[in-house]
Amino acid sequence: MIPAVELKNLKKEFVVLKRKGLWREKSTVVAVDDVTFSVGKGDSVAFIGPNGAGKSTTIKMLTGILHPTAGSASVLGFCPWKERSQLARQIGAVFGQRSQLWYHLPPKDTFELLARIYNLDLRDFTKRRDMLIERFALSAFLSTPVRKLSLGQRMRAEVAASLLHKPEALFLDEPTIGLDVVARQELRDLIREWNRDEGLTVFLTSHDAGDIEHVAKRVIVINHGRVVIDNQVSVMKRSFLGTKIIHIKFHEEPSLTSLEEMHGVSVAHASAYILKLEVDTEKTAIEKTIHAVLAAGPVADITIEDPPLEKVISHIYAQGLQTTNLDQGRGISEI
Amino acid sequence: MNFFSKYLWIALTAARSNMAYIGEVSSRFIFLGVILYIFMRLWQVTYHETSASQLGGLTLTQMMWYLTITEAISLSATKVAQEVDEDVRNGTLAVQLTKPISYVLYRLATSLGERTIIFSMNLLIGAIIANTMVGSTPLSLAGLLLLACTLPLAFLLDFLGNFIIGLAAFWLEDTSGLALIYSRITWILGGLLIPLELFPYWLQPLVKALPFASMIYGPAKIFVAPDINNFVEIISRQIMASLAFSICLIILYRIALRRVFANGG
Repeated sequence: MIPAVELKNLKKEFVVLKRKGLWREKSTVVAVDDVTFSVGKGDSVAFIGPNGAGKSTTIKMLTGILHPTAGSASVLGFCPWKERSQLARQIGAVFGQRSQLWYHLPPKDTFELLARIYNLDLRDFTKRRDMLIERFALSAFLSTPVRKLSLGQRMRAEVAASLLHKPEALFLDEPTIGLDVVARQELRDLIREWNRDEGLTVFLTSHDAGDIEHVAKRVIVINHGRVVIDNQVSVMKRSFLGTKIIHIKFHEEPSLTSLEEMHGVSVAHASAYILKLEVDTEKTAIEKTIHAVLAAGPVADITIEDPPLEKVISHIYAQGLQTTNLDQGRGISEI
Repeated sequence: MNFFSKYLWIALTAARSNMAYIGEVSSRFIFLGVILYIFMRLWQVTYHETSASQLGGLTLTQMMWYLTITEAISLSATKVAQEVDEDVRNGTLAVQLTKPISYVLYRLATSLGERTIIFSMNLLIGAIIANTMVGSTPLSLAGLLLLACTLPLAFLLDFLGNFIIGLAAFWLEDTSGLALIYSRITWILGGLLIPLELFPYWLQPLVKALPFASMIYGPAKIFVAPDINNFVEIISRQIMASLAFSICLIILYRIALRRVFANGG
């Protein structure tokens, strides 16, 4: 598959001045350290990491805003920092906390302006705009000033605005931040639909596990400037923690003694007829646990689940933190 | 053609956005009315007390219209320095860089679009007040034409100065103090309340050569006393100052872009 985004040994260092008494000392902070990965055309990738991990720095290098200290990158065949304006016509960007819509004007006025900024043929623009209005259900508030829109309506208009010039790749930086459950789900569905139906490459950063689960097929985790995980979301969820959650409903009150004695099995929740177990499959096989459950009492219903993605992510971040504690000062070298 | 049309469209959008909340900014026009009235009364008293028919080469009527133009110009100033400062700090500058437009020209078009609307409104209100108080004597086609020619460069020059101050946000914690000092210097040395001819003789050549005079004094003087030689001199100074400011801005902007840090993780 032709890569839409390709990074090779990308590195970015910042020089920061630290006050030491009357003097200022220069030190170098490595924000992105030797990052290599590629994203195929039409892929949907979640690029995640804790605060300060290097996500924004990487995205800013991929959109041509920042120059790397070392390494190379190619986005849709362009070198972002050398060919920023050519690349700008091929990509769209949505930043959840920064709007590209004019605050006092209705969204349709920003659409008109974007048509001029991207030099769109006016007939093509009208067709594309009308299609986006329909798909994103914008007609009800197209003529309402942006300041009067709800955050959910505004974000739908934001994403539609970033798709006006038919970009091949869309960069989304926390697009669902602050949205309510319904608006969040609507936006996720729209992005996923666009990725699936139009072959749009989606590169998403978010702290919301739901965004990652619903929008992305692949997840790249970055921590302290380095890629720590690059895998399919489903694989990561299934295999990373090696734990399973079992929900059981009994007809009668069960006897928990044998279950509690099992190595690697812990009771997460227990009430009269309901039991929730967390099983470390590396210590105890899942079938052995099921046998013990069936022996504990008459089972009415049973479900086996992977741990929630949120838990997987916090586990990965915590592991990264432990590594850093052992290796304090990595990434910072005094000049 | 496309290049200019996109920036023209940005200016039109900015003008339209400004019109959208014209009611909210009407307090500015009330302020202009009060200020103009007070200073016009002061000048009337000054002319009366000194029994002079002209001060600094201007009659009382010319002085009133001079004041109308200088006030209309200075009170139409947009918040360029503050906006650039905010764009630098909150990362909007970085977001703008992902679009196929120049950030500097985007800000210039926005500023010119907004300023044209505010200046036109200011001029309308000022003209009504001046006309009511002293009549329309200096109003001439030549004056209007020469004013229209010098205004764009005056606005450009003011924009460049303010943009440079806004860019200082890359190095300074707060640029609002700098912007305030800059605007007050522009008012004083630009001849907002007193024409430069009333400054001490030894100071006049220096003050007239400074870029501040090209922003306020020049256009107002050419309006009340149209003179082709004076016009050529003002335009030349405006062009030279604009070139000097542009060179400073380009150099600073290039250095600043290397300092665009990533906000957030």
